[in-house]
Amino acid sequence: MFLSTVILVLEEILEAALLISVLLVLTRLLTRNSMEHLVIPLAWLPGAGICGIAGAWLYATFTPAVSEWFDYVGLEITNAFIQVLILVLLALFCFMFSSGNREHRTLMLAGMAPVLLCTMVALGITREVSEIILYMQGVMALPANVSSVVLGTIMATGIGISSGIVLYYLILALPVIWSYRVSMLLLALFAGNLASQAVLLLTQADWLPYTPELWDSSNLIPEYSVTGKLLYALVGYEANPSLLQCVLYLASAIMIAFSPLFLLAWKSRKGSEDGA
Amino acid sequence: MKVKVITVLVLFLVARNSFAAVPELELEIRDHLFFPATLEIPVNQKVRLLIINNDPTPEEFESYELNREKVIPGNSRTVIFIGPLDPGEYPFFGEFFPKTAVGKVVAK
Repeated sequence: MFLSTVILVLEEILEAALLISVLLVLTRLLTRNSMEHLVIPLAWLPGAGICGIAGAWLYATFTPAVSEWFDYVGLEITNAFIQVLILVLLALFCFMFSSGNREHRTLMLAGMAPVLLCTMVALGITREVSEIILYMQGVMALPANVSSVVLGTIMATGIGISSGIVLYYLILALPVIWSYRVSMLLLALFAGNLASQAVLLLTQADWLPYTPELWDSSNLIPEYSVTGKLLYALVGYEANPSLLQCVLYLASAIMIAFSPLFLLAWKSRKGSEDGA
Repeated sequence: MKVKVITVLVLFLVARNSFAAVPELELEIRDHLFFPATLEIPVNQKVRLLIINNDPTPEEFESYELNREKVIPGNSRTVIFIGPLDPGEYPFFGEFFPKTAVGKVVAK
């Protein structure tokens, strides 16, 4: 029970932890290196944590009801909706850095950025943690399981958060411009992952048509391997994705890659000059 | 452009109902075991898999090969669409109780 708890909880936590790291790197870079004296308060993170865990508890409580919606595919539809919502918020965040009145922009950014970051992460946590809550409620019904499940959950949470911290410092160890570029690249791939997962969920619910599998790399990097799971959390790796998944993955990643925030990171020489 | 997209979407949703003749299979969960543990489905055919969880605890149906993952609350039922599949075996397991709840889909 201990090992399977660690694996299950880690899977759920890793994705959120890695996203939070990348967003924290961006918060730090945009705050410290911005020519616009933009300050993004770090309060978005504890805010997202609290809202996310409250949301997860609520979602877990209503899972039996949601599950019956739309002829028993309510969970797929709701989860796909959450994924798409996160994607939209992420795109809004990246496109907010477009040109326009500079002073006006700074004010708007300072107000909107923490709200968007907080909502995005809170939604992510809601989805991932609700599954952990359901799992814990389920297996802890048997008293013999309680200690191994609690220990496993604590350990997995520790590993997940440590991985996030490692990624944070790895990215920040790069020269500033590359920290900026790498985090934007990861964010673009993360957007692709969100779209691809939404497609998968809607296909599973039969709301989207079946499209053929594009490749099968399950012999090369199995999804259940450590590498597979890390790649999944980081860039949405899947061993046998469908055509539609790949198309929307690419479309979303490219959308972020053409956003003002991404282009700023890529164009400016020092990463601090705002490309202007 | 937007109108077109919406039209296609509406047509597609309407069309979905007229293609409703998808064969249905049942899979039961009892004492953290799948019944039947082997599900035979026709090749190249989408099927509607009705999963009935008779346990009071939730379970998660998961299969890397089928690319499917879904939580089934305790004492409830749910639906997962799978396929169309090439001939072969596709293992699945209950992620909440992976040591006991295992099974496979055989497409032939």
